[in-house]
Amino acid sequence: MATLKDLAARKPVLATIRLIVPAGAARPAPPVGPALGFYRLNLMAFCKDFNARTQKYKAETPMQVTLTAYKDSTFEFVVKSPSVSWFLKKAAGIDTASSRPGHNNVSSLTLRHVYEIAKLKQADPFCKHMSLEALCKSIIGTANSMGIEIVKDL
Amino acid sequence: MLLPLVRASRAPLRRLLSSSSSLRTLLRPRVPYATSGSGGNDLPPLLLQLCARPSPYRASEAGHARRAASSARRGMILCARAVDVGDEASSSSAAAAGSDLSSPYLSVRIRCRKQDAEVLSEALLSFGAFSSTVDDIADAGNLDEIYITSIYADGEDVDWSVSNAASSAGLDYSPAYETSVGKQCDWVATVQETFEPTEVADGLWVVPNWKTPPDPQATNIIINPGLAFGMGEHPTTKLCLLLLREVIKGGEHVMDYGTGTGVLGIAALKMGAALSTGIDIDPQAITAASENLLLNGLHSNQMPVYLVPMNLEPSCFPSNISKLEGEGNKLSNNFDLKSSRGTYDIVAANILLNPLLELVEDIVGYAKPGGIVAVSGILEEQVPKVQELYSRYLDNMSVSAMDGWACLQGTRRV
Repeated sequence: MATLKDLAARKPVLATIRLIVPAGAARPAPPVGPALGFYRLNLMAFCKDFNARTQKYKAETPMQVTLTAYKDSTFEFVVKSPSVSWFLKKAAGIDTASSRPGHNNVSSLTLRHVYEIAKLKQADPFCKHMSLEALCKSIIGTANSMGIEIVKDL
Repeated sequence: MLLPLVRASRAPLRRLLSSSSSLRTLLRPRVPYATSGSGGNDLPPLLLQLCARPSPYRASEAGHARRAASSARRGMILCARAVDVGDEASSSSAAAAGSDLSSPYLSVRIRCRKQDAEVLSEALLSFGAFSSTVDDIADAGNLDEIYITSIYADGEDVDWSVSNAASSAGLDYSPAYETSVGKQCDWVATVQETFEPTEVADGLWVVPNWKTPPDPQATNIIINPGLAFGMGEHPTTKLCLLLLREVIKGGEHVMDYGTGTGVLGIAALKMGAALSTGIDIDPQAITAASENLLLNGLHSNQMPVYLVPMNLEPSCFPSNISKLEGEGNKLSNNFDLKSSRGTYDIVAANILLNPLLELVEDIVGYAKPGGIVAVSGILEEQVPKVQELYSRYLDNMSVSAMDGWACLQGTRRV
């Protein structure tokens, strides 16, 4: 993937679009449709490309996608892993985070869970520069703000 | 009365709805926490912020004043907007009556400072927005502020979402925003305008139905894509069409597995095949394919299209019948389909990696022994996996590739 500097120098950027799309299930319907259709991008090509690239993930996991739309109606996109809060919710088996974090704890996870999530996140292009320890700390921070307690052993 | 909402220009006319939800903010207690937004990959310092920050701008009067002032400014800078405030009653009833193509969604245009744009748009995603788009920064010129357009499902609490996203992004003000309702058909039409006639090979064109074929002498396949896949410009469609052209000599029976717009089946018929059959799990595809048949002057007898249930299990035929008892029409179709297994000269499946791997027996089962099976919709890096699995059923395998996409073909083992 070219660096951002190259991209900017190459073609004039029209807009940056951020989406959450379930893996392998991109359809022309919302969320993809209106967001891309507005910029006259080739929806079908994006859907096919995105679905092909996310085949290796479990179906329906919400992947974060960042599209860069250029002025000449072409686009490029980067697929990132799902958000940390989604991972935590899945690991803890809950649907919504605590409404009063810090006061009520919804669930608890062990350090092993945090480590596994950190390993998955490190594959993300944006996290490569962070050490595993730094990633773990940030995941713990997210968990605290969601009301999920991290304990050493369950 | 709803005005058309999307124009081809970049700043469309919109109906501004006054969002009375802003009044509710006074009543809702401020929740003192900041989540990390969507994973906080690029800004670690945000994650450790646990703030109970009362925003000085939460009062709705201030919000209204800012919004009025900002809309006046916007009128000067961008092209004119049609302001039609207070039509909520009509829009909500229209929302209730929405069918698939005209079901509404909420489009929210938020104004914020340039440096906050990235973070805010990420935060919006984790608070219920389907997507958030940041208009290009360079475009904004000397303006200090930038627009984020966010799309929500109809009926979502936009105000709650925006204010929480703002607080978790660390903004000390509540950004002004305006909501408008969009309808599906608006953007579908916009996208369709981008399709051009494509020359797949020498003398073979795929043309959208609202354009005239550039070369009337060539084999022209006319397609109205609707919401289905297969306009002819994607490398996988091209690979399959080239393959069909190579192998069709005349009089074959062709199976288009995962037909989409029906482009492959129709192309086969135009190249000389005797009969095509199209199957797909998506009802939109069946509609599009049936329509395209008529556009190309073909009869539905030459290419029947079937809607198949997603969990088609070829080995448990009796259970399929009992499942479809209630849908008489489909039952007979499926019966015809089942009896045609093992009779096709050519089977073309342009879908995706995982379905190809799961449905290998089904796909190969439709081909007659010695018949050609072609699969596509796979990236070049995914070819080894497919090749490994399909080599158990096919001989003489070969791979063709274009632009990072690949197509695998082989003949069914006798």
